[in-house]
Amino acid sequence: MQLSKEQIVQLEDFAYQIRRLSLEMITCGQWGHPGGSLSMADLMSVLYFKVLRVNPQKPDWEERDRFVLSKAHASPALYATLAIMGFFPIEDIYQYCQIGGIEGHTDMRRTKGLESSGGSLGMGLSIAAGLAYGLRKKELFKSSVYCMIGDGESNEGNIWEAAMFASHYHLDNLITIMDYNKVMAKGFVWDEMGIEPLRDKWQAFGWEVLEIDGHDIQAIYDSLYKARWIQRCGKPILIIAHTVKGRGIEDTEFNYKWHTQHPTPQEADQMLRELSVRYGKPAAGYSRLEGR
Amino acid sequence: MAGHEASSTPQMREIFGQTLAEMGGVHEDIMVVDADLHTSTRVVLFKEKFPERFIQVGIAEQNLFGVAAGLALAGFVPFPCTFASFVARKSADQFALSICFPALNVKVPGSYVGVPTSKAGASHNSFEDIAYMRTIPNLKVAAPGDAADMRAVMKTAYETPGPVYFRVVRYSLPDLFDSDHTFEWGKGKVIKTGSDVTLFGTGMMTDRCLKAAVLLEKQKISAEVVHMASIKPIDEQLIIESVTRTGCAVTAENASIVAGFGAAVAEVLVENFPVPMKRIGIRDSWIDSGDIEDLFAHYHMQPEDIAKAAFEAIKMKESKRK
Repeated sequence: MQLSKEQIVQLEDFAYQIRRLSLEMITCGQWGHPGGSLSMADLMSVLYFKVLRVNPQKPDWEERDRFVLSKAHASPALYATLAIMGFFPIEDIYQYCQIGGIEGHTDMRRTKGLESSGGSLGMGLSIAAGLAYGLRKKELFKSSVYCMIGDGESNEGNIWEAAMFASHYHLDNLITIMDYNKVMAKGFVWDEMGIEPLRDKWQAFGWEVLEIDGHDIQAIYDSLYKARWIQRCGKPILIIAHTVKGRGIEDTEFNYKWHTQHPTPQEADQMLRELSVRYGKPAAGYSRLEGR
Repeated sequence: MAGHEASSTPQMREIFGQTLAEMGGVHEDIMVVDADLHTSTRVVLFKEKFPERFIQVGIAEQNLFGVAAGLALAGFVPFPCTFASFVARKSADQFALSICFPALNVKVPGSYVGVPTSKAGASHNSFEDIAYMRTIPNLKVAAPGDAADMRAVMKTAYETPGPVYFRVVRYSLPDLFDSDHTFEWGKGKVIKTGSDVTLFGTGMMTDRCLKAAVLLEKQKISAEVVHMASIKPIDEQLIIESVTRTGCAVTAENASIVAGFGAAVAEVLVENFPVPMKRIGIRDSWIDSGDIEDLFAHYHMQPEDIAKAAFEAIKMKESKRK
């Protein structure tokens, strides 16, 4: 399904905003994970602004799609997306990591729009699989469950327990996206603990596997469309999205040091200027830089 | 109060399985999730009646609790069932973070708690679950003491929104309560009144406290016996009221005394009404394989041990008075 040029421009703009707000909130909170937030921004844009059936005015709508962020350390990208969608005011993101504000990872009881709580890796796919089973049991056939997992996260045994379960029960209403940004907390995935051959492993576990460039808006949309409408054949579906950790700013790209490191306000100012120029926008720095 | 002999009664796990199967007929939102132990935990009784609401996850306990969390998010009331040692040890993080942190409506039985597990030994004996569970925010914790108590705890657990952990022992217990018995969170029950010492029991150990009270009676010692199925929240008021009358306490639990039920009672007493007390339970030890009654003797968890502890507590109380 071909997106129009205008649609692509719009979705790229949402991805830009997700990257911007992620960096803003990490800088304001002086904590967070920029690398994994920046790598999945394009995926989040297409998911929430083109694919997911969710309604910020009716967050508890029974027939909605569910999104479970298993790699919950990349929560800034999700919070940014939910804020842009209107689940809560954008201003609230500046409460990130403030007591009583927005949780560093994810707390579904605290922030509107979240479907799960998390932060300890490997758990989200099990939750998503249970949810997919439950929705099917309730005959909510219009609802799909989307789960975002990390590449490093796939070292966890819990991921493979969930993978086995999902295929055993033919959960083709479960669409999992792997943000394969190649970098984990302390180095490249293949140095720390290799996960290849990914496609073969997931296929051997009984999954339908698609593989895309995770920064190509059209390719992301195609894969999500296929996953939902074409390749549902009694198997859960994995989309391996090849991405660049820290995508958008030269210094953070494929740089494990920016997995957890938060920028100083001055660094963030430079980063955000670079990001805006890269997107062909007028240079815009960190909104809360002192003295501005 | 105390009725027929233990040997003629079904084990508590059987009562649990029967009750779950009965509840399944009343509440269509109950789903049972199993990790290849249904004939041991006795949820096979639910499986036989409601196969369409029974999910097998295989030997994968981490996934067991994640799937239960997902089912709760979909609006079901899941009972993920496995041995307590796999809840409190193997899948502790999944249980705490995926279920208790978001306060999901999941009811978790911990089967094969404490000493009686056939002869399985250390890997299958849970001694730490009370200690671990009572530190987890949002979670309620119970240890029923007889069949009526098990039914009452499960009924209340279903009616209570949010996560509940309750202990299911692989052991037969005589009746403490009548069939119209009810359970309330944060409420203990005085089973026998007395004036010299209070014996606080939880789970299967309340029965042993009653037997200890009989032994003490022969020595002209009047022991009060209090059953505390609700471990968290705990009945602070009753603990204080009872020891105000008796002046000393003994606790008994089928679990480690380190940070367990006895420690919970001690916390209440130390902060409110300090009195001499002794704790009966597993004393910082892995549990060996062996005949169950031999193991109870080996770990000093017999009625005689409780009675002996009561003597010591009373002695401490009297020496304080001098």
